[in-house]
Amino acid sequence: MRRLSWFNVTSLTLGFAFLYVPMLILIVYSFNESKLVTVWAGFSTKWYGELFRNEAFLDAAGVTLRVAFISATIATVLGTMAAYVMVRGGRFFGRTLFSGMIYAPLVMPEVITGLSLLLLFIAIGLDRGVLTIVLAHTTFAMCYVSVVVSSRLVTFDRSVEEAALDLGCTPFDAFRSVTLPIIAPAVISGWLLAFTLSLDDLVIASFTAGPSATTLPIKIFSSVRLGVSPEINALSTILIAIVATGVITASLVSKRAIARQRQDQRAAVAGA
Amino acid sequence: MTGGAPQVFAPWDDPKAKPLIEFRGVTKRFGDFTAVDAIDLNIYPREFFALLGPSGCGKTTLMRMLAGFETPTEGHILLDGKDLAAVPPNRRAVNMMFQSYALFPHLTVYDNIAFGLKRSDMPKSEIDGRVTEMLKLVQLGPFAKRKPHQISGGQRQRVALARALAKAPKLLLLDEPLAALDKKLRHDTQFELMDIQEKTGTTFVIVTHDQEEAMTVASRIAVMKDGRLLQVSTPPQIYENPNSAYVADFIGDVTIINGTAEPHPDGYAVHWAEGQAPLVVRSPLTLSSGQACHLAIRPEKVDVSKTRPEDDNVVKGEVIDIAYLGNLSTFHVRLPGGQMLKAQKFNTEHSARKEITWGDEIWLSWSDECAVLLDR
Repeated sequence: MRRLSWFNVTSLTLGFAFLYVPMLILIVYSFNESKLVTVWAGFSTKWYGELFRNEAFLDAAGVTLRVAFISATIATVLGTMAAYVMVRGGRFFGRTLFSGMIYAPLVMPEVITGLSLLLLFIAIGLDRGVLTIVLAHTTFAMCYVSVVVSSRLVTFDRSVEEAALDLGCTPFDAFRSVTLPIIAPAVISGWLLAFTLSLDDLVIASFTAGPSATTLPIKIFSSVRLGVSPEINALSTILIAIVATGVITASLVSKRAIARQRQDQRAAVAGA
Repeated sequence: MTGGAPQVFAPWDDPKAKPLIEFRGVTKRFGDFTAVDAIDLNIYPREFFALLGPSGCGKTTLMRMLAGFETPTEGHILLDGKDLAAVPPNRRAVNMMFQSYALFPHLTVYDNIAFGLKRSDMPKSEIDGRVTEMLKLVQLGPFAKRKPHQISGGQRQRVALARALAKAPKLLLLDEPLAALDKKLRHDTQFELMDIQEKTGTTFVIVTHDQEEAMTVASRIAVMKDGRLLQVSTPPQIYENPNSAYVADFIGDVTIINGTAEPHPDGYAVHWAEGQAPLVVRSPLTLSSGQACHLAIRPEKVDVSKTRPEDDNVVKGEVIDIAYLGNLSTFHVRLPGGQMLKAQKFNTEHSARKEITWGDEIWLSWSDECAVLLDR
């Protein structure tokens, strides 16, 4: 191992401190005995217990997960379809316009997306609730999915699809049995991205949520305005743990897959 | 059994033979670019047909139209007498082996080969037998359970071949099938391909830019340039009797001398340089006196000697360059007037005594049958 110079050590420390000190403080205080957030009064897990008895938070968490799951799934289907047409459809009339329009919501300020959706729902007389949040999240998550999937499709060897057609597949069968399994990792990361985006969205959700359904970010935001409670710290710690586990698992799995593939290839070359 | 002399396989010379594929005035344009220009061509059953040409000559487009991935802008393609225009790729009795092999990375070798069979009318019970048979044909039995990334490049090539042959297509298309293999493996595989073609009796159409490969495997070669067929013939015919300077130059090594023709007993005398005796050549062409022409001479047809020999054509020159290839040497000789001529000599003698070296004055000679006269 190489020793780092004092300059590198300092910049590393500062960088990571900048990123993680706030979260560390939050985690530490979630185990605080005291009701006062800033005064340490000994270790306790009571706020976790309180949290799991708080119906409002649990409801909001349920709504959030449901919304994230449904909207991520719809967004993945639509986004994959859009990506496929953009990459494989050839040069049909209006292609540039369409592909520009798919990516536009990526750079659109969320406030505007939220407001325009709110106006739309009012105009067509749709009651705000889980359905409207799902629709709103699908709308903006779809373009992220389509970006992820189309970047995979661009590097995809077209002749593999042609081979499937050549061997008797209809175009749909070729997509289902060849293209989809090969691009599956991109589709799955698209889904995960959509799921995460939906989980932590506050702006668009607060425009499209109604009194019947509140998502967790909205709930947290509104309770913080009444004062930070240790319960919020506990909830945030749980969220951090979930996200960290997910990210670490994903990176380990993909690292192992790459290592295994390299090993296979070396074995194939050696055995040839 | 009919007895008598064994039949030479040459259905293209038989006016009664029914072609498997007919191109009738086929043109393909991409925007302003004409990739394939009014092609008429017949390919017969059991042929090993090579489409040969430099990249961009339209050979791949021609093949992709057979597979159904491109549709002709004009003209018709007939398979077994039926127009293919309305038949999508998945319903054609044509299979293709792709240059990149296009194996399905998520399926095992076995499932790759079974892929087409599962989508055909073949009963499930017969599929396993057919796949095993194909694995045996390409000698990949022990690798059936491997994924494509777990086998070597040569093995992948054979999986691609087995997959394309599994459905017993009437026609197999091979798009630069050996381009990704190293030279030695490519040579072995060429013979393997010919062997498999003979065993299965399938009609093969191969696209290649490698003239040596086309000469080795094909029963007939079509030389293409700029979307047109320049010459369609057997390898010996193309080599010995090219019909244009381009074909002569594209296939093998050749010296092309420009001159003017003058009728002569049994052929023509070609005047090629001021103050030099004309070169005589036999030719079926009819040229008028004084007409401009090319004379194509293969290096191996030219004899090299240090003393003046007796022959139809004898010229003297200076050795400028020698390419020593082990079994033979190629001499680049400058003739009077600056014309360069290539000559080849087998290195049958071991001693260095008679060796010809740079700067030597030598005699080059060839008979009137050995050169080819081409009009321009």
